[in-house]
Amino acid sequence: MKKIKLQKVFFLVFLLVVSAIYIGPFLFSLSISFNTNKDVFQWPIQLIPDSVTLANYKSVWNDLPFARWLINSLLVTTIQTVSNVFFSALAGFAFARLEFPGKKLIFTLLISSLMIPGIILLVPKFIILNELHLVNTYPGLIIPGLVSITNIFLMKQFFESIPKDLEEAALIDGCSYFRIFWQIFLPISKPALAAVAIYTFQGSWNEFLWPVIVLYSDNMYTLPLGMASLKDELQTNWPLLMAGTILISLPTLAIFIIFQRYFVEGVASTGLKG
Amino acid sequence: MKFKSINQEQAVWAYTFLAFPLLLISVFIFLPIVFAFGVSFFDWNLLIPDKPFVGLGNYIEIFKDDVFIKAVKNTLFYTIGVVPTQTILAMFLAFLMNQKIPGKTFFRVAIYIPAITSSVVTSIIFVWIYSKPGLLNFLLSKLGIESNIDYLTNPSTVLPAIMMLNVWSTSGYFMVSFLAGLQNIPQSLYEAAKIDGANTWQQFWKITVPMLRPVTYFVMVMSLIGCFQVFDQVFVMSSGGPDNASTTMSYFAYQNSFKYFRFGFGAASAIVLAMIIFTTTAIQKKYFPPDSY
Amino acid sequence: MKKNLTVKKLAYLLLATLLVLTIGCSESAETLRYTSWQSSPVEQSIIRQNLESFKKDNPDVAFKYEPIPGNYPEKIQLMLGTHTAPDLFWLKSFTAPSFYHFDILKPLDDYVQRDTTFDINDFFPVFRDSYKDRGHFYGFPKDFNVYVLFYNKKMFAQAGISAAPKNWAELENAARKLTKDTNGDGKTDQYGLVIEPAIEMLMAFVYQNGGEFHDAQGNLKINDPAFTQALTFYHGLYEKKIATIPSDMGAGWNGDVIGRKNAAMAISGGWMIPYLKEAYPDIEWGVVPLPAGKKQATLAFSTGFVIPKEAKYPDQAWTMLAYLAGKKGMAEWTKSGLALPTRKSVAEANGFYKDPVYKVFMESVPFAVNFKINYMQRWYDESNAALQAIFYKGKDPILTMKELEPRVAKYRLK
Repeated sequence: MKKIKLQKVFFLVFLLVVSAIYIGPFLFSLSISFNTNKDVFQWPIQLIPDSVTLANYKSVWNDLPFARWLINSLLVTTIQTVSNVFFSALAGFAFARLEFPGKKLIFTLLISSLMIPGIILLVPKFIILNELHLVNTYPGLIIPGLVSITNIFLMKQFFESIPKDLEEAALIDGCSYFRIFWQIFLPISKPALAAVAIYTFQGSWNEFLWPVIVLYSDNMYTLPLGMASLKDELQTNWPLLMAGTILISLPTLAIFIIFQRYFVEGVASTGLKG
Repeated sequence: MKFKSINQEQAVWAYTFLAFPLLLISVFIFLPIVFAFGVSFFDWNLLIPDKPFVGLGNYIEIFKDDVFIKAVKNTLFYTIGVVPTQTILAMFLAFLMNQKIPGKTFFRVAIYIPAITSSVVTSIIFVWIYSKPGLLNFLLSKLGIESNIDYLTNPSTVLPAIMMLNVWSTSGYFMVSFLAGLQNIPQSLYEAAKIDGANTWQQFWKITVPMLRPVTYFVMVMSLIGCFQVFDQVFVMSSGGPDNASTTMSYFAYQNSFKYFRFGFGAASAIVLAMIIFTTTAIQKKYFPPDSY
Repeated sequence: MKKNLTVKKLAYLLLATLLVLTIGCSESAETLRYTSWQSSPVEQSIIRQNLESFKKDNPDVAFKYEPIPGNYPEKIQLMLGTHTAPDLFWLKSFTAPSFYHFDILKPLDDYVQRDTTFDINDFFPVFRDSYKDRGHFYGFPKDFNVYVLFYNKKMFAQAGISAAPKNWAELENAARKLTKDTNGDGKTDQYGLVIEPAIEMLMAFVYQNGGEFHDAQGNLKINDPAFTQALTFYHGLYEKKIATIPSDMGAGWNGDVIGRKNAAMAISGGWMIPYLKEAYPDIEWGVVPLPAGKKQATLAFSTGFVIPKEAKYPDQAWTMLAYLAGKKGMAEWTKSGLALPTRKSVAEANGFYKDPVYKVFMESVPFAVNFKINYMQRWYDESNAALQAIFYKGKDPILTMKELEPRVAKYRLK
C-alpha cells in the first residue's frame, strides 16, 4: 500500500511542477495587472508587486468602451460557435458515414486548402467581401467564420472511430439519415462537439486580423481590436494591457472549464453490448 | 422518400448536409486560393494597375532567393522538431488528464491556459525569459550551468527557442482533441487489461495509442500544417531575425506581399509552401495511415 | 419529426438574423473619410480634440474618423487596391517613396496655389520636402522627430564629466569613463552608451561623416570610405565594450536600457521623453544634439497627411489637411509636447525654442537629413539583417557591407 501511495505523491508533485511551467507566465501577467509600477520586466522579477491596485481593471472597464466591444465579441463568437458545432458535425457525418461521388476529391481539396497561409488569402478574401458589399458590416465579420474545415476534419475523424454497425438498426427501421445523425450520432459525440466548441470559441474570440481588415467603424469593434489601442509601439502601459488581456481571456477560460466536463471517461460507452 | 438505391439516397443526403458549408468554403476559401494561384503568374502589385504576366518568373526568382532558401530550411527544421514533440506530448498529457487524480480540473485548466493567453502577451513574456538576464539563464545558473546568451538574438538558438515556446503553448490545445478521442475508448478494454495484469504503461501503448489513431492523424496533420505556417510568434518575437535565422516561409510570403508590395511573388511563395505541405502530408498518410481498428 | 422542425426553425432564425443585420448595418460613407493608426489613448484623445476644433471652424464639412487599430500598412494597401481608400490618411515619410513610385497619391500643388493662407514656406524645408517628389507636393508633414543624445545627468556628475559630448572623440571618451562595474561583481553593468543594430541609427553617423546610403542618381555608396569609417566607429564602440545593445541587457529597446541605468547615454527621438517620464521618473536626464563627426547631422522622421488620387472628396480632404497641418491645427496638435511642429511659426509661438528640452530638437532641424531611400522596401530588411549579422554573429563589418551591396542593388526604384 505504501508503495502505491508514494507513487501517487510523486505523480502529483510531477503534475504540480508541470502545471507551474504552464501556468507561470499567466500568473505573472496576472501579477502585472495588479501592479502600479509600469516597469515590470526588470530583474529580479517581482511576482508579488509592491503596490497592489485594482485601478487597472477599473480603468479598462470605465475609460474604454469595453462593454460595447464585449457585446460585439459575444454576438460574433456565439453565432460562429453554434454554427460551427452544428455544421461541422453535419459535414463530418457526411464524410464519415455516407458514400457519395466526389467524396474523396472534395475532402482532399478541403484539407489541401488548409495548406495555403491565411495571410495570402487575406487579399482575395477582402476583394471578394468588397464585391459582396459586406465590408464594415456584421455579416462580413461573421459569415466567413461560420464553418471551418478544421472542425469538419475533427468531427469526421471522431465519427470514423465509432463502430460501423451503430446505424444499422435504425436504417432497418427506416430512419432518415438526418434522424440518425440527430438522434444517434450527435448525443454520443458530446466530447468531440465540446472540442469543436472550445476551439471555435477561442479562435473567434481572439480573432484580430480579419476584424481589423473588415471593419472601419469602431462601434463594431470586437475586444481584441479594442485592446490593440492600449498597445503603443514603444510605450506600452503593461499593467493596463495585462488587465485588459486577462479580462478578455476569462470567457475562453470559462468555456473550457464548462466544456471539459464532457471529457469524462466512460461517457462514450456506445450502447452496444460487447 | 423513395430512392432508386441506397447509394443515391446517401448521395442526396450527403450533398444536402454539405451544401451550406461547401458554399461558404467555396466563396471564402476556394475562390481566394484560385485567385492567389492565378496571381502567382503575374507581377501583381495591389497598387499599380499594370499587372504584367510573367509566367513562371516568380517561381524561378523564388528558388534563386537565398532568403527563401533559408526560410525553407528554417520551416523544415521547425516542423520536424515540433510535430512529433507536440503530438506525443499532447497525447501523453491527455492520457494523464484522463486518469483518476484529485484536482483533475485544475491540472487540465493549467495545461490549457497557455492556449488562451494572448499570443502577444506570451511572446513578450518569453522575450524576457529568453533574454540575457532572463529567467532561463537564471534557472540554468541554479542548476550550475553558466549560460549568458540572449536566446532570441543568437542565430543558432532563436529557432529552437521559438519552437519550445510553440510546443508549450499548443500542447494544451491539442490535448483537447486527444481528450475527446479518449472518451471513445470503452472502459471495458482497460478493465480487461488490468485483469490480465497490464500496468498503466502497457495499457497506454497497447490500448490507448491504437484506438486513438484517427485523432492522432488529425493532430499530426493540423500540427504539420500549423508548423509549416508558423507566423505569429516570428512576427512578434523576432521579426525573422537575426539575419533571417528565424524567417519562415509564411513570414517570407507576408513580407513580400505586404511590405514589398509584390503580391504575385508572395503568392507564388505561398503556393510553393502549399505544395511542400501537400507532399509531406501525402508521405505522412502513407506511413501513418489514419484508419483505426 | 419534431426534431426536424426545430432544426428548420433554427436555420430560418439564423438566416433571418443575418438578413436583419445586413439591412440594419450596411453603412455607405457618403462623407469625407479620415484615417490614421492608433497609438496611445492619450494621443487618440488629442486627435479627437483636434477634429472637434476643425468641426467648429468648418461646420459644413461632414467627416468620419476611422482609425485603424493594427496592421495599418496592410489595411491601407488593401483599401487602396480595392478602391475603398479613405480620402485622407497618415503616411510616414519613410514609406512614402514606394507610394510616389506607384503614383497613387494626389499631387497637391493646385490646392497650395489656390489656398493663400497655407503658407508652405512656413514649414521647415527638410520635412516639407520629404513629401515632395519630382517637383510636386504629395502631402504635408504634421509633426517630426530627430535623433538626439539623451544622457543621465547624475552618472555624468559622478564621472566628473561637465558637459555632454559634442563630437565623436568626446563621445568615445565619455563612454569610456562612464563604463563601469557598479556593484563589484566583476561584470560591467553600466555602459557609457547604448546603440541599436538598426540601419537608421547607423545612418546618423554616416551622414555625420559626410557619407550617404546612395547618391542623387541612386547609386549605392555603402562601400565608400565615408560609410565604412562611420560603420567601423559605430561598431567599434560595441567592440571596445563601451557601448552595449538592448538585447545584451535583456531589454527590448534602448529606452529600457537607459531607464534601468544600464547606460549613461542613448540615441533616440522625442518618443523617449514620455516613456522615461512614465516608466522611469527618477532618472534625471538631459538632451543635446547628436555629437558631430566631420559635420553635424541627424536623421529626420516625419508623418504627413496624404490624399489618394482616387479620393471621393478631395476638396474637403484638402480643407481638413489645410487645417490640421495649418498653423492653428498644428499648434493644437503639438501643444502637449507629444509631437514636434514642422512649422517654424508654430514652434516659435508655442515656446518650443525656449523649452530646455524641445529647443535641442528644434536646433537639430537645420542639420537634419531626410531618410529617403529610393529603393524597394526590401533594402531595409536586408540592411538590418546585415547589421544583425555584424552585431549578433560577429561577422566582419567591411565584408558584410561588400556582400550587402549587390543584394540591395537589385531593388532600385526607377
